Amino acid sequence: MSTATTVEAQEATYTFSPETLQAVLAPGDAPRRPSWLSASFTFGWRAMLKIKHVPEQLFDVTAFPIMMTLMFTYLFGGALAGSTTEYLQFLLPGIMVMSVVMITMYTGVAVNTDIVKGVFDRFRTLPIWRPSTMVGYLLGDAFRYTVASLVILGVGLILGFRPEGGVVGVAAGIGVLVAFSFAFSWIWTMFGLLLRSEKSVMGVSMMVLFPLTFLSNVFVDPNTMPGWLQAFVDINPISHLVGAVRALMDGGWDTTDMTWVLVSGVLITVVFGALTMRLYNRR
Amino acid sequence: MSTMSYALTDSTIMFRRSLLHMRRYPVLTFMVVFLPVVFLLLFVYVFGGTLGNGLGGPTGGRSAYANYVVPGILLMTVAGAAQGTAITVAMDMTEGIIDRFRTMAIYRPSVLTGHVLGSMVQSLLSLVVIIGIALAIGFRPNATPIEWLAAAGVLMMVTYAVVWLSVALGLVTKSVESASNLPMPLLLLPFLGSGFVPTDSMPAALRWFAEYQPFTPVIETLRGLLLGTEIGNSAWLAVAWSVAITVVCFVWAKQLYNKER
Repeated sequence: MSTATTVEAQEATYTFSPETLQAVLAPGDAPRRPSWLSASFTFGWRAMLKIKHVPEQLFDVTAFPIMMTLMFTYLFGGALAGSTTEYLQFLLPGIMVMSVVMITMYTGVAVNTDIVKGVFDRFRTLPIWRPSTMVGYLLGDAFRYTVASLVILGVGLILGFRPEGGVVGVAAGIGVLVAFSFAFSWIWTMFGLLLRSEKSVMGVSMMVLFPLTFLSNVFVDPNTMPGWLQAFVDINPISHLVGAVRALMDGGWDTTDMTWVLVSGVLITVVFGALTMRLYNRR
Repeated sequence: MSTMSYALTDSTIMFRRSLLHMRRYPVLTFMVVFLPVVFLLLFVYVFGGTLGNGLGGPTGGRSAYANYVVPGILLMTVAGAAQGTAITVAMDMTEGIIDRFRTMAIYRPSVLTGHVLGSMVQSLLSLVVIIGIALAIGFRPNATPIEWLAAAGVLMMVTYAVVWLSVALGLVTKSVESASNLPMPLLLLPFLGSGFVPTDSMPAALRWFAEYQPFTPVIETLRGLLLGTEIGNSAWLAVAWSVAITVVCFVWAKQLYNKER
């Protein structure tokens, strides 16, 4: 049997009609549009899968904080507080805040990478709640923030950190830290959309993060700093975050710091969330 | 023209080439200065009050700590310059210019000599900037002109040793990226010594390392010359370490350079 006769036979069996075409194109009802929550969690899961496939990105979440904790505890702890154990009680909540806040910049880097690769344009054609891609990045990062916090806590406990707040105080401290970092990440998603390369996103974020984290109460009591520096430290949101987390882990509650953290967190989310979505819609 | 004068002429030309590189890529020199300046300001203003009180002395506080930390920062500047040297040497080795030089009738080690002299000038400029900033923020040395000259001599001696080490590191690497990472531990040595805090305040194991590593005697010698603290046998140890590092790294660098790539 020749090829020609096979083709003829096939043509004979298929007759074009709107019904047959419809049967092929739409075999049933169109799938329901995913809810905003479902879409956000899907993109959050995508961010988690990235960690699974590129585990090196957890290096910054683990190695940097461990190195900083060891260095400041053992190199400077004795000179700063008289004993390394005593200094660790003061330092660890601060190092935890510093490390987690530092890695918030990777949200912006991830956004920028997706834009450069073109996958972002594909997401925008999907029938989903528009901010879900952004919220997804942040949800994935919230997991990383939690991992970072637990790693530092683990190292701290091994070295001799004994929080008076117990499990509840520590959990509350980590909760506040992760919540604030989630809000803070909106700044970097905006820069991720605004800047052209991931290097420039990292450069800008470092220029902002280094002064914010080092010129704070992470390492020493601001009372030992010169007046002009104290003035900056007192209005620095990271200082208030450190104060709030430190108080919770010590089994206390600092109303002033907590208010600052909540207000600044909400403000950052409202302002930078809106700016991010505006930039996202205009791309 | 004798071999010696050829060597001198070729080395001068290569030195001029290094200076031109410095002029055309000022960002490298800026980076050498930037990190030590950041650490100087950070440690004096953020940690200085607390650390200075621990130092005791007649004044204590930030001014005492500014005096204490500057020698460590100077060594950090030298280590930063080493990173720049390793990068420029690696760039030369990977970009093929060395293969071109090898086909020319020039004194072979002149390329390395040029890099070393160029780095020495870069380090010297960086050190002058750092000392200027240190003086502006409260560094108050009580050294005589002779002691200043001796301190400059110690700095040049250790810079020469570290530069030869970084030249060797630049030659041993296969890429510019790894050349920028290899000298990184040198930046940590002032921290893991008496550069930022007295070694007495460190735990036993760390104190042992801090007291016997090469940068500690250099820092103590500089501190003694500039601030009048006791030097003890630190000066001899500083000279011994510098000479040993220079000789070993010079031989290593020459061997690596002459090896066919």
